[in-house]
Amino acid sequence: MPLPVALSLIDVTVRYGERVALAGVSLEVRRGEIVGLLGPNGSGKSSTLAVAAGILEPASGTVQIEGRSRASDPRGFAFRVGLVPQEPAIYEEFTAYENLTFFGELYGLSGSDLRRRVVRTLARVQLTERAHDRVGSFSGGMKQRLNLAIALLHDPPVLLLDEPTAALDPASRDSLFADLARFRDDGHAILLTTHHLDEAEGGCDRVAVLEGGRLIACGGPAELLRPRPADRAILYGHLRTRPPKFLEKALRRRLGSHVELEITGRRLRLAAASNEELGYALAALLADGVELEAYRTPAGALERALRADTTARGSSP
Amino acid sequence: MSRRLELTLTLARKDWRRFWADRRAAIMVFAVPILLASAFGLIFHQTPHEPTQLPVVVVVEEPGPFSRLVANDLLVSQRLDAQELPREEAEALVAQRRAVAIVLPRGLERLQHWQPDSAGERPTLVLLHHPGANTEKQWAEGVVTETVMQRVAREAFGADAHELAPPFRVQSAAVTTHPNAQFNSYTHSFCGMTIQYLLLWGMESGLVLLRERQRPVWSRLRAAAVPLSCILTGQAIATAAVAIFQIILTFTFGYVVFGVKVEGSLLGFGLLAIAAGGLAAATGLTVAAVGGTETRARSISILLILTLAMLGGLWVPAFLLPGWVRDIGWFLPTSWAMHGLESVTWQQASLTEVLPSFGVVFGFTAVLLILATLRLGQAERNWPRGEF
Repeated sequence: MPLPVALSLIDVTVRYGERVALAGVSLEVRRGEIVGLLGPNGSGKSSTLAVAAGILEPASGTVQIEGRSRASDPRGFAFRVGLVPQEPAIYEEFTAYENLTFFGELYGLSGSDLRRRVVRTLARVQLTERAHDRVGSFSGGMKQRLNLAIALLHDPPVLLLDEPTAALDPASRDSLFADLARFRDDGHAILLTTHHLDEAEGGCDRVAVLEGGRLIACGGPAELLRPRPADRAILYGHLRTRPPKFLEKALRRRLGSHVELEITGRRLRLAAASNEELGYALAALLADGVELEAYRTPAGALERALRADTTARGSSP
Repeated sequence: MSRRLELTLTLARKDWRRFWADRRAAIMVFAVPILLASAFGLIFHQTPHEPTQLPVVVVVEEPGPFSRLVANDLLVSQRLDAQELPREEAEALVAQRRAVAIVLPRGLERLQHWQPDSAGERPTLVLLHHPGANTEKQWAEGVVTETVMQRVAREAFGADAHELAPPFRVQSAAVTTHPNAQFNSYTHSFCGMTIQYLLLWGMESGLVLLRERQRPVWSRLRAAAVPLSCILTGQAIATAAVAIFQIILTFTFGYVVFGVKVEGSLLGFGLLAIAAGGLAAATGLTVAAVGGTETRARSISILLILTLAMLGGLWVPAFLLPGWVRDIGWFLPTSWAMHGLESVTWQQASLTEVLPSFGVVFGFTAVLLILATLRLGQAERNWPRGEF
């Protein structure tokens, strides 16, 4: 039996002046599931998270968390949401313990209850050893864990994460998704944004695809990523180091116009007409000294949803 | 305790602790006004009864007995710190504003036998002065006129200096609102620098809020359903608390080292300290409300604060400022705060006498706080938070 719906967005529209950022988006997230919001930059992912967190008021539509709306019960609503912004939203002058205590007090926690929660939350994100160190001395991964810890402190049913892996190395990213899986199993409803297909496929139970402020697809990653004969062969990789620009240009020339090569930071995407052609392209890259830490070859509706012309598609939450 | 008050105090505590987290920066906030006040006080300081002597160079263009006598009179004058030099060297000193030169010209010898009905061309004494030294020029003109006239009279009537002394005496007395009030340059500089640095601290505090509003932590505060009024009040309380601490520390240092005393109402001083602390907080919120970018906010704020300090008489006593500047002062919180602090320190004002200053500074604080809060509230409503 599915767990109850924790977060529901019903026909939500958001406007920034004349521009429509979200157009009639409806989405539900249940306790015990991780939903990934996928889409290119400007598709409305962060706006969806902002309305879900209650810091952005929709022009129309309803946002509810366990039946509460921000307008009717702001404290009750806020207490049920844990927001994890993309960049750590913490005070670097304070220790991890002090940060958690301060934000706990904002949620009305105090006394022994607050102290107990702080200790427990630090343990949940493996920061007990560094509890009394200034956050300014933390690594990026530790700051991100503290960022997450603050959102977990008041034990909200809904966790909202904005591109949580943007500044993380592969090891920290895997560790974060392992943590999120634990929180999911503890009964949290998790909504996160990403524009990386591999994260959506590997880390999420459901994926919602946004484009131009519209929800164009929503379903299990296996269903959305299932390949079709007409699909191009795709490979996603993670580079050991980013190649210099001149080498990138040389590689493009060598692969030819029939093979697509995209390099964003240390992420790589390679697309070709067939698996055989993709194999040749990969061999050529490796021969030229490009070092891959990992690679995989998903393809399917999700890829199509993100890349193809979507004018013919309708919303299917 | 109500939930709003609890939140406000939590936020104020946070800002207070963030201020102290950077100990060195915090120490500088307190040390700089103390150092500057000490320096200003030292520059303007005069020990009581110590005669001030005007640096003067005497140039004698025609050696002769009468010119020599006048030159000697000038060289021994109690009101001058005089030396005799050739004209070229005198001009060099004047150009550097190190002295005013009195040139005793050719033809001065004629005055040795001057009579009230004497005809003929009168010799012209030349005063060489730096373009910015008008006061010194007038001072030198007065001294040299008196000296030459006395010498002429002595030569004409054969009387000695004692017999030609003015048939009256001049007695000066400083008049203040209270008997026995003694002006102390350190008191003035400590009052002025304290107010100036309160405003600069307010600006820094406002820039912290400006930065915080642009950081993801602001989204987290708003997601926690913390009302904007609590955030702003908390910030204002922390800023005012630091400002009041700064006032106490600066005046304690002034008292211990330079004898700066609150000779009037201590309660009046306390009220003024609270009002000035509030003014610092209001300045901070105003900077955050209208600042735009941090660089722009900093540049404009420094310009405005220094202008307010200058026009408000925080650098030099208001009586040295032109009349029109003093008229502008009626509309500035700085001049009212300065007036209040000076009244309650060396002018020995009572609580009733400083209440108008307190009221005006408090009024400015209230108006700025209200305007800044309204502006920030409006900005918050119009700021689409689609990004974190």
